Amino acid sequence: MFAMNPMTTLSAIRKPGWRHWLVALALVTVVSATPALAALGGDVSSVQKDRARFKASLQLSTAAHHTVHELKAPTGTTIREYVTEDGRVFGVTWQGPWRPDLRQLLGPYFADFQQAAKAKRTGRNGPLTSRTARLVIEMSGHPRAFQGRAYVPELVPADVPEDEIQ
Amino acid sequence: MSEPRRVLRSVLCMIAAAGCGDGGGGTNAGNSIAPPDGVNAVAIVVDSGPLGSNGAPVGYVNGAFVTVTVCVPGTADCQAIDHVLVDTGSSGLRLLANDGKAGGELSLRLPPLEDVGKKAIGECYPFVDGFTWGQVQLADVRIGGEMAGGMAIQVIGEAAYPVPDPCLGFGNDEDTLEGASGLLANGILGMGTFVQDCGPACATAGSGNPGVYFACSSSAPGGCVETAVAAGAQVSNPVARFATDDNGVIVELPPVPAGGAPTASGSLVFGIGTRSNNGLGSAVVIPVDDRGTLTTVFPAQGTRYPQSFIDSGSNGIYFLSGAATGIPTCTGTGGIERFYCPPSPMVLSAANQGAGGTPTSPVSFSIANAKALFASNNVAFSNLGGENAGLPSLHLPAAFDWGLAFFFGRNVFTAIEGAATPGGAGPYFAY
Repeated sequence: MFAMNPMTTLSAIRKPGWRHWLVALALVTVVSATPALAALGGDVSSVQKDRARFKASLQLSTAAHHTVHELKAPTGTTIREYVTEDGRVFGVTWQGPWRPDLRQLLGPYFADFQQAAKAKRTGRNGPLTSRTARLVIEMSGHPRAFQGRAYVPELVPADVPEDEIQ
Repeated sequence: MSEPRRVLRSVLCMIAAAGCGDGGGGTNAGNSIAPPDGVNAVAIVVDSGPLGSNGAPVGYVNGAFVTVTVCVPGTADCQAIDHVLVDTGSSGLRLLANDGKAGGELSLRLPPLEDVGKKAIGECYPFVDGFTWGQVQLADVRIGGEMAGGMAIQVIGEAAYPVPDPCLGFGNDEDTLEGASGLLANGILGMGTFVQDCGPACATAGSGNPGVYFACSSSAPGGCVETAVAAGAQVSNPVARFATDDNGVIVELPPVPAGGAPTASGSLVFGIGTRSNNGLGSAVVIPVDDRGTLTTVFPAQGTRYPQSFIDSGSNGIYFLSGAATGIPTCTGTGGIERFYCPPSPMVLSAANQGAGGTPTSPVSFSIANAKALFASNNVAFSNLGGENAGLPSLHLPAAFDWGLAFFFGRNVFTAIEGAATPGGAGPYFAY
């Protein structure tokens, strides 16, 4: 594991409300000693855990009925987490040269992903596209250019088109 | 099917300077093999893959395989490994160990790459939805008549060190020949547009390091920790390390009938415009960006998909979704439902565009009924396709993955980043 570097991550926060994140960071520093914690399906505080795990900067943007938390990791990978108005992460995406730790990002849905990856193998070496009632996951690319997204259909707000999760 | 293949293989073995393994966990380690003769090509075979534990081929579809010989550096102590997958989507040679679990062929003992503290270097390398783990070792790599001396390769297997915990976040461990996460190949020969498999990101410690390389001091949990490896010492594209013909490769595969073929034979040619057999001719050069991606326009005057790529290690042409294209997907479960199954073959038009916006090169391709293709005894298909994304308006992860199906009937050039060629400097694809 790389050592935590709170100064680097702090300096990357430029959005208003950073004092709030300072408090969160204190919690995160403690939490980071424990194993991966859920993002997908978790509450909005799990975005902060992801930010700490990926040593990322964070940008917020608000759509009509959800919020997008964009994490830029120093590895060059961008992660977006889609959060409902009542604070649940219903979708995640990633794009960049390296894939993020999917245990961290998918949380309780990581095993669903593993199962989907095994199931696709029938005659298929290429992208993963899997859709079940529990999880939709799509992964494409090749080493040094990966992209993917995952969402929990039952958590997607009724007025958010699924193609907004990008 | 095994009898024709045996004949074919013996022919290929005569063509390939490196010779062939026995396909069933070869034990020819230690054989002295003649030095490379400078021939800048090696035979490609598209067949059902290496023999599995039951003695039958593992059942690969659209896999392009070559034989690669590795030697203890500076010696004639060598082993030829057959059925190594030709992959223009990655860089570096990775071979499955014959260690009792992995089920591969490599049994030759190679020296490890070590850091300054004499710790063995391991690597956790991510592919699209899984990873390979194993030690980095040093070998003279001979392919056809060319050699890359003393270079780092990944030996896939856990004999020395178990998979480190951070690696598990990449997904499933693809370190066996067979099984649900099996490679179905004795190794992967990455000859993509990159020189190194990681590059500068892995050469520096810190938060920008993606955690691909590990320094291993013990087989106990936590015995391997993330580390930095200088770019020149990383697992790299062997072609970039050849003495000549080091600017790229051509994958040459013949056309196959609409219903496919039981095997196909072609060539992996080294160098672009360096000899009489590897000129660009009329091929259109399509530059890629620093991630190896180009833009596919589909339909030909339609939507741009800028994360597209040409990847001989993918078996089909994967793009969009049934909902987006209107092409029916196959009915069923177990993975078949993500392939396209039109009632009759469809001819489609797209265009590939350089990452900088030019040039734009039209490409016509066909998609046939995957269920019907799989139901035949054939394994080489130019019209196998499937889904790569959910919805037409997606920017992510919608892309075209031009897998091996695209390669039949085309000579596809892959130029390495920074390398000079008659078509300009790499990285690019051309066809």
